[in-house]
Amino acid sequence: MSENEKLFNQIVKDYSERLWWHVRRFVNSHEDADDLLQEIFLKVWAALPSFRGESQLFTWVWRIATNETLNHLRKEKVRAALKFSSVDAEMERRIQADPYFKGTEAERELAKAVLKLPEKQRQVFIMRWWDDLSYEEMSAITGTSVGSLKASYHIAQEKVRSLVSQTLF
Amino acid sequence: MTRKSDISTPEGYFQDLQARLSAIPGKQAASKPSTVIRRFTPYLAYAASLAILVAVGNFILRKTSTPAVQEDPYWEYYAYLSGALDPDGYYEYTEVEDLSEEDIINYLLASNVSLDQLAMSYEEGF
Repeated sequence: MSENEKLFNQIVKDYSERLWWHVRRFVNSHEDADDLLQEIFLKVWAALPSFRGESQLFTWVWRIATNETLNHLRKEKVRAALKFSSVDAEMERRIQADPYFKGTEAERELAKAVLKLPEKQRQVFIMRWWDDLSYEEMSAITGTSVGSLKASYHIAQEKVRSLVSQTLF
Repeated sequence: MTRKSDISTPEGYFQDLQARLSAIPGKQAASKPSTVIRRFTPYLAYAASLAILVAVGNFILRKTSTPAVQEDPYWEYYAYLSGALDPDGYYEYTEVEDLSEEDIINYLLASNVSLDQLAMSYEEGF
Protein backbone atom coordinates (compact mmCIF):
# COMPACT_ATOMS: atom_id res chain seq x y z
CA MET A 1 0.00 0.00 0.00
CA SER A 2 1.40 3.41 -1.03
CA GLU A 3 1.90 6.31 1.38
CA ASN A 4 -0.97 8.16 -0.27
CA GLU A 5 -3.29 5.19 0.17
CA LYS A 6 -2.36 4.96 3.85
CA LEU A 7 -3.02 8.67 4.30
CA PHE A 8 -6.30 8.40 2.39
CA ASN A 9 -7.47 5.52 4.59
CA GLN A 10 -6.59 7.56 7.64
CA ILE A 11 -8.65 10.48 6.32
CA VAL A 12 -11.59 8.13 5.71
CA LYS A 13 -11.27 6.70 9.21
CA ASP A 14 -10.88 10.07 10.95
CA TYR A 15 -13.22 12.34 9.03
CA SER A 16 -15.79 10.47 6.93
CA GLU A 17 -18.46 10.35 9.62
CA ARG A 18 -18.10 14.01 10.62
CA LEU A 19 -18.07 15.08 7.01
CA TRP A 20 -21.16 13.02 6.28
CA TRP A 21 -23.06 14.90 9.00
CA HIS A 22 -21.78 18.20 7.61
CA VAL A 23 -22.95 17.39 4.10
CA ARG A 24 -26.24 15.89 5.36
CA ARG A 25 -27.23 19.18 6.97
CA PHE A 26 -26.76 21.01 3.69
CA VAL A 27 -28.53 18.62 1.34
CA ASN A 28 -31.25 17.36 3.71
CA SER A 29 -31.28 13.93 2.12
CA HIS A 30 -29.58 10.71 3.21
CA GLU A 31 -29.07 9.53 -0.37
CA ASP A 32 -27.71 12.84 -1.64
CA ALA A 33 -25.33 13.06 1.30
CA ASP A 34 -24.09 9.55 0.51
CA ASP A 35 -23.53 10.38 -3.18
CA LEU A 36 -21.90 13.70 -2.43
CA LEU A 37 -19.53 12.19 0.10
CA GLN A 38 -18.35 9.73 -2.55
CA GLU A 39 -17.67 12.69 -4.85
CA ILE A 40 -15.83 14.53 -2.10
CA PHE A 41 -13.57 11.59 -1.34
CA LEU A 42 -12.89 11.08 -5.03
CA LYS A 43 -11.71 14.70 -5.10
CA VAL A 44 -9.66 14.18 -1.95
CA TRP A 45 -7.99 11.13 -3.47
CA ALA A 46 -7.27 12.97 -6.73
CA ALA A 47 -5.86 16.00 -4.91
CA LEU A 48 -3.87 14.07 -2.31
CA PRO A 49 -0.59 14.11 -4.29
CA SER A 50 -0.75 17.93 -4.25
CA PHE A 51 -1.27 18.13 -0.49
CA ARG A 52 1.93 19.71 0.82
CA GLY A 53 1.12 19.89 4.48
CA GLU A 54 1.05 23.70 4.46
CA SER A 55 -2.39 23.57 6.01
CA GLN A 56 -3.60 20.99 8.49
CA LEU A 57 -5.01 17.85 6.94
CA PHE A 58 -8.30 18.47 8.75
CA THR A 59 -8.61 21.98 7.29
CA TRP A 60 -7.61 20.83 3.82
CA VAL A 61 -10.15 17.98 3.72
CA TRP A 62 -12.91 20.06 5.24
CA ARG A 63 -12.31 22.85 2.71
CA ILE A 64 -12.67 20.41 -0.18
CA ALA A 65 -15.88 19.07 1.36
CA THR A 66 -17.36 22.50 1.92
CA ASN A 67 -16.50 23.71 -1.58
CA GLU A 68 -17.92 20.58 -3.17
CA THR A 69 -21.09 20.85 -1.11
CA LEU A 70 -21.66 24.52 -1.93
CA ASN A 71 -20.95 23.81 -5.58
CA HIS A 72 -23.47 20.96 -5.51
CA LEU A 73 -26.10 23.29 -4.01
CA ARG A 74 -25.42 25.99 -6.61
CA LYS A 75 -25.89 23.40 -9.33
CA GLU A 76 -29.16 22.31 -7.73
CA LYS A 77 -30.31 25.94 -7.73
CA VAL A 78 -29.51 26.42 -11.40
CA ARG A 79 -31.05 23.05 -12.25
CA ALA A 80 -34.24 24.06 -10.41
CA ALA A 81 -34.26 27.48 -12.12
CA LEU A 82 -34.01 25.80 -15.52
CA LYS A 83 -37.14 23.84 -14.59
CA PHE A 84 -38.99 26.89 -13.24
CA SER A 85 -38.97 25.45 -9.73
CA SER A 86 -37.44 26.46 -6.43
CA VAL A 87 -34.71 24.53 -4.69
CA ASP A 88 -35.82 25.95 -1.34
CA ALA A 89 -39.28 24.46 -1.78
CA GLU A 90 -37.68 21.12 -2.68
CA MET A 91 -35.46 21.28 0.42
CA GLU A 92 -38.45 22.03 2.63
CA ARG A 93 -40.26 19.07 1.12
CA ARG A 94 -37.23 16.87 1.83
CA ILE A 95 -37.14 17.95 5.48
CA GLN A 96 -40.88 17.41 5.85
CA ALA A 97 -40.84 13.95 4.26
CA ASP A 98 -37.43 12.78 5.52
CA PRO A 99 -37.79 9.12 6.56
CA TYR A 100 -34.65 9.40 8.71
CA PHE A 101 -35.90 12.37 10.70
CA LYS A 102 -36.79 11.43 14.27
CA GLY A 103 -36.61 14.74 16.10
CA THR A 104 -39.21 17.12 17.48
CA GLU A 105 -41.31 19.60 15.51
CA ALA A 106 -39.07 22.38 16.83
CA GLU A 107 -36.01 20.63 15.39
CA ARG A 108 -37.78 20.22 12.07
CA GLU A 109 -38.65 23.90 12.02
CA LEU A 110 -35.06 24.73 12.91
CA ALA A 111 -33.84 22.79 9.88
CA LYS A 112 -36.36 24.63 7.68
CA ALA A 113 -35.35 28.01 9.13
CA VAL A 114 -31.69 27.36 8.30
CA LEU A 115 -32.72 26.98 4.64
CA LYS A 116 -33.82 30.59 4.64
CA LEU A 117 -30.39 31.90 5.61
CA PRO A 118 -28.07 33.36 2.96
CA GLU A 119 -25.39 30.88 1.82
CA LYS A 120 -22.55 32.18 4.02
CA GLN A 121 -24.65 32.48 7.15
CA ARG A 122 -26.05 29.00 6.54
CA GLN A 123 -22.53 27.64 6.20
CA VAL A 124 -21.43 29.31 9.44
CA PHE A 125 -24.54 28.19 11.29
CA ILE A 126 -24.18 24.56 10.21
CA MET A 127 -20.47 24.47 11.08
CA ARG A 128 -21.03 25.97 14.51
CA TRP A 129 -24.40 24.63 15.62
CA TRP A 130 -24.33 21.08 14.24
CA ASP A 131 -20.70 20.37 13.34
CA ASP A 132 -19.48 21.93 16.59
CA LEU A 133 -16.38 23.43 14.98
CA SER A 134 -14.43 26.12 16.79
CA TYR A 135 -14.25 29.61 15.29
CA GLU A 136 -10.53 29.06 14.68
CA GLU A 137 -11.23 25.88 12.70
CA MET A 138 -13.99 27.62 10.76
CA SER A 139 -11.66 30.51 10.03
CA ALA A 140 -8.98 28.18 8.66
CA ILE A 141 -11.54 26.40 6.46
CA THR A 142 -13.37 29.43 5.09
CA GLY A 143 -10.52 31.93 5.06
CA THR A 144 -12.72 34.38 6.96
CA SER A 145 -11.66 36.17 10.13
CA VAL A 146 -12.87 34.91 13.50
CA GLY A 147 -14.57 38.27 14.13
CA SER A 148 -16.60 38.07 10.91
CA LEU A 149 -17.56 34.49 11.64
CA LYS A 150 -18.76 35.40 15.13
CA ALA A 151 -20.82 38.27 13.73
CA SER A 152 -22.29 36.06 10.99
CA TYR A 153 -23.16 33.35 13.49
CA HIS A 154 -24.83 35.82 15.81
CA ILE A 155 -26.95 37.24 12.98
CA ALA A 156 -27.79 33.75 11.70
CA GLN A 157 -28.79 32.60 15.18
CA GLU A 158 -31.10 35.59 15.64
CA LYS A 159 -32.75 35.00 12.28
CA VAL A 160 -33.23 31.30 12.99
CA ARG A 161 -34.64 32.01 16.45
CA SER A 162 -37.10 34.52 15.01
CA LEU A 163 -38.17 32.21 12.19
CA VAL A 164 -38.68 29.22 14.48
CA SER A 165 -40.68 31.20 17.02
CA GLN A 166 -42.86 32.68 14.26
CA THR A 167 -43.68 29.16 13.06
CA LEU A 168 -44.19 27.50 16.43
CA PHE A 169 -45.95 30.20 18.45
CA MET B 1 -29.62 14.60 23.68
CA THR B 2 -27.02 15.70 21.13
CA ARG B 3 -27.68 18.08 18.29
CA LYS B 4 -27.37 15.18 15.84
CA SER B 5 -30.05 13.05 17.46
CA ASP B 6 -32.82 14.39 15.24
CA ILE B 7 -31.58 12.38 12.26
CA SER B 8 -30.94 8.66 12.13
CA THR B 9 -28.95 6.46 9.77
CA PRO B 10 -29.46 2.82 8.77
CA GLU B 11 -27.87 0.21 11.04
CA GLY B 12 -24.12 -0.08 10.39
CA TYR B 13 -24.23 2.73 7.86
CA PHE B 14 -20.93 4.37 8.79
CA GLN B 15 -18.98 1.10 8.70
CA ASP B 16 -20.37 0.44 5.24
CA LEU B 17 -19.60 4.01 4.17
CA GLN B 18 -16.00 3.75 5.36
CA ALA B 19 -15.56 0.47 3.51
CA ARG B 20 -16.89 2.01 0.27
CA LEU B 21 -14.76 5.12 0.60
CA SER B 22 -11.64 3.10 1.38
CA ALA B 23 -12.15 1.22 -1.88
CA ILE B 24 -11.79 4.43 -3.94
CA PRO B 25 -8.00 4.22 -4.56
CA GLY B 26 -8.31 0.65 -5.86
CA LYS B 27 -11.21 1.53 -8.15
CA GLN B 28 -9.46 4.63 -9.47
CA ALA B 29 -6.31 2.66 -10.24
CA ALA B 30 -8.36 0.11 -12.18
CA SER B 31 -10.12 2.78 -14.25
CA LYS B 32 -7.09 5.00 -14.93
CA PRO B 33 -7.09 6.11 -18.58
CA SER B 34 -4.21 5.16 -20.84
CA THR B 35 -1.36 7.64 -21.32
CA VAL B 36 -2.58 8.40 -24.87
CA ILE B 37 -6.01 9.40 -23.60
CA ARG B 38 -4.45 11.40 -20.78
CA ARG B 39 -2.24 13.24 -23.28
CA PHE B 40 -5.27 14.30 -25.33
CA THR B 41 -7.54 15.08 -22.37
CA PRO B 42 -6.73 18.84 -22.27
CA TYR B 43 -7.46 19.16 -26.00
CA LEU B 44 -10.73 17.26 -25.60
CA ALA B 45 -11.64 19.57 -22.72
CA TYR B 46 -10.99 22.64 -24.91
CA ALA B 47 -13.11 21.16 -27.70
CA ALA B 48 -15.93 20.34 -25.30
CA SER B 49 -15.82 23.86 -23.80
CA LEU B 50 -16.02 25.39 -27.25
CA ALA B 51 -18.94 23.14 -28.20
CA ILE B 52 -20.77 24.11 -25.00
CA LEU B 53 -20.09 27.80 -25.60
CA VAL B 54 -21.42 27.61 -29.15
CA ALA B 55 -24.46 25.58 -28.17
CA VAL B 56 -25.44 27.75 -25.19
CA GLY B 57 -24.86 30.94 -27.18
CA ASN B 58 -26.95 29.54 -30.01
CA PHE B 59 -29.67 28.48 -27.58
CA ILE B 60 -29.82 31.93 -25.95
CA LEU B 61 -29.77 33.74 -29.29
CA ARG B 62 -32.57 31.63 -30.69
CA LYS B 63 -34.68 32.12 -27.58
CA THR B 64 -34.09 35.85 -27.20
CA SER B 65 -34.32 36.97 -30.82
CA THR B 66 -37.70 38.19 -32.06
CA PRO B 67 -39.71 35.74 -34.17
CA ALA B 68 -38.66 36.13 -37.77
CA VAL B 69 -40.28 35.40 -41.07
CA GLN B 70 -39.29 31.75 -40.70
CA GLU B 71 -42.54 31.22 -38.79
CA ASP B 72 -44.34 31.49 -42.09
CA PRO B 73 -44.24 27.95 -43.54
CA TYR B 74 -44.16 29.35 -47.06
CA TRP B 75 -41.27 31.71 -46.36
CA GLU B 76 -38.61 29.09 -46.85
CA TYR B 77 -40.09 28.12 -50.20
CA TYR B 78 -40.32 31.68 -51.49
CA ALA B 79 -36.93 32.57 -50.10
CA TYR B 80 -35.50 29.54 -51.81
CA LEU B 81 -37.13 30.43 -55.13
CA SER B 82 -35.90 34.01 -54.94
CA GLY B 83 -32.41 32.82 -54.13
CA ALA B 84 -32.39 34.56 -50.74
CA LEU B 85 -31.74 31.33 -48.97
CA ASP B 86 -28.87 29.05 -49.70
CA PRO B 87 -30.37 25.60 -49.25
CA ASP B 88 -27.01 23.99 -48.60
CA GLY B 89 -26.08 26.52 -45.97
CA TYR B 90 -29.49 26.36 -44.37
CA TYR B 91 -29.63 22.61 -44.08
CA GLU B 92 -26.09 22.39 -42.84
CA TYR B 93 -27.30 23.64 -39.49
CA THR B 94 -27.01 20.96 -36.83
CA GLU B 95 -27.69 20.85 -33.10
CA VAL B 96 -24.93 19.84 -30.70
CA GLU B 97 -26.42 16.49 -29.79
CA ASP B 98 -24.33 15.53 -26.78
CA LEU B 99 -24.93 18.63 -24.69
CA SER B 100 -26.28 17.49 -21.35
CA GLU B 101 -28.10 19.49 -18.73
CA GLU B 102 -25.02 19.05 -16.55
CA ASP B 103 -22.89 20.73 -19.25
CA ILE B 104 -25.27 23.69 -19.41
CA ILE B 105 -25.36 24.02 -15.61
CA ASN B 106 -21.57 23.88 -15.40
CA TYR B 107 -21.29 26.49 -18.12
CA LEU B 108 -23.79 28.82 -16.43
CA LEU B 109 -21.98 28.46 -13.10
CA ALA B 110 -18.59 29.03 -14.69
CA SER B 111 -19.86 32.17 -16.43
CA ASN B 112 -21.20 33.51 -13.11
CA VAL B 113 -24.78 33.87 -14.31
CA SER B 114 -26.84 34.79 -11.28
CA LEU B 115 -30.22 33.23 -10.58
CA ASP B 116 -31.74 36.71 -10.91
CA GLN B 117 -30.34 36.98 -14.43
CA LEU B 118 -31.73 33.56 -15.27
CA ALA B 119 -35.14 34.50 -13.92
CA MET B 120 -35.07 37.75 -15.90
CA SER B 121 -34.21 35.85 -19.05
CA TYR B 122 -37.23 33.60 -18.50
CA GLU B 123 -39.51 36.60 -18.04
CA GLU B 124 -38.21 38.01 -21.29
CA GLY B 125 -38.93 34.74 -23.07
CA PHE B 126 -35.57 32.94 -22.72
